[in-house]
Amino acid sequence: MHAEVRYVVKWDMDYVIGLTLRIGVVISVILILIGVVLLVIEGKGLGFYDVQIMSVRSYVNTTVIPPLTALSGLTQADGLSFIVLGLMVLIATPVLRVALGIASFAMEKDWLYVVITVVVFINLMLAIFVLPALLHL
Amino acid sequence: MLSIAARLLTFMEILIASIFAGLLGSLTGLGGGTVLVPVLTLFLGIPIAYAAGAALISTISTSSGAASAYIKDKITNIRIGMGLEIATTTGSIVGSLTVAYIYSHNLEWIVYVVFGVVILMSIIPTAQRGKYEIPDPKPPDWTTKVFKLHGSYYDDALKTEVKYWGVRWWLGELIMFFAGFISGLLGIGSGALKVLGMDWAMNLPMKVSTTTSNFMIGVTAATGSSIYWYLGYIQPFIAAATAVGVLLGAMAGTKILVKITNKQVRWVFLAILAFLGMEMLLRGLYLNHLLVVPIALQYTLSLIFTAIVMVTLFYKYGLSSKVNARRGEVRG
Repeated sequence: MHAEVRYVVKWDMDYVIGLTLRIGVVISVILILIGVVLLVIEGKGLGFYDVQIMSVRSYVNTTVIPPLTALSGLTQADGLSFIVLGLMVLIATPVLRVALGIASFAMEKDWLYVVITVVVFINLMLAIFVLPALLHL
Repeated sequence: MLSIAARLLTFMEILIASIFAGLLGSLTGLGGGTVLVPVLTLFLGIPIAYAAGAALISTISTSSGAASAYIKDKITNIRIGMGLEIATTTGSIVGSLTVAYIYSHNLEWIVYVVFGVVILMSIIPTAQRGKYEIPDPKPPDWTTKVFKLHGSYYDDALKTEVKYWGVRWWLGELIMFFAGFISGLLGIGSGALKVLGMDWAMNLPMKVSTTTSNFMIGVTAATGSSIYWYLGYIQPFIAAATAVGVLLGAMAGTKILVKITNKQVRWVFLAILAFLGMEMLLRGLYLNHLLVVPIALQYTLSLIFTAIVMVTLFYKYGLSSKVNARRGEVRG
């Protein structure tokens, strides 16, 4: 009986994790596709022209588009803004998955794997927030 | 300004290359990046830093899209995957910072050469592993118990429930650090190395290794992509096309993978691997003026090399694999 209950809990968490990954990717792809359609129709985004954005040696990369500037274009239906937001959602999806993993192992009271998953999460935070701040100094 | 048709065409060009890369990447558990970076740089003329950035972002969509399907099928071992991600994420941070130094000193040729070598070296373990589906069991060691490295799954092709356990967790971690380093350095999921770490070092079945590798690639790539983002290696338009394209290709690949045995996957892929690996290697030496060979001759040399590799591998492993496959079925 006890084992059965634990099995159900585990299955539920695996299901939630799988669903999170899928929803994250779907949202990201929808945002990217909206962005591409807008960009193809309008031919410009965030003050850059299509030839600048679409050339294979384009200088329009993530260093010339600060995240906040990119997001400010969403209200003006700016194609490039939607693409950048879609890419951000894509990177955030595995991060959320790891966070859910911590919860999942905690529910199973598997403390060794809670610690392991927290270390993975710390590494992600290092890469997203800490290292860019350090490199900037 | 371009016409709407011209803009659409630019997008479609990258999209189609990405679908092709995603399909092959998913079928082998290597991730789309390994095929995507050579295709984008060699055939579409995209700078390697942008190609690597786009590929790394795209492997997240492949991994997340495909992993959700595998978790449902219960082939992926989440514990083993999560434990090894400590090493892959650490490796990815070190690799991304290393490539930042390489690009800022205009040493791109190093990335081409390492890319070529990594591809060519992944051919041999992939070919050898083609001999059997499920490894001969090794006695469990202390890590098997401490890190709970056991599991089971239903194999569709063998029509049986396969029970397995992993060994040598520490060796797996060591290889995973290197896999993460290569992922950050080259902008690929480095699924080949992840699979090597799991099936060779930890003695896990091929299907568990490939699906768990796919599951891990997303977290590894998110780590590297964040650093790439800050360094400016992500060009939104190219990354948009590859993220969607690789995902479409990978979804098709996932559907096919569950239905076929692993041996068939490898033989198709090896030929393309050999060609792309040789081509990247030659291009790297060309950029460094070490071996100045005209582009057309580079392709010819790569094709000849591919033919030689295929013939050699077929005589060495191909003939015996049929016998072993039948034995595996009986055992199952």
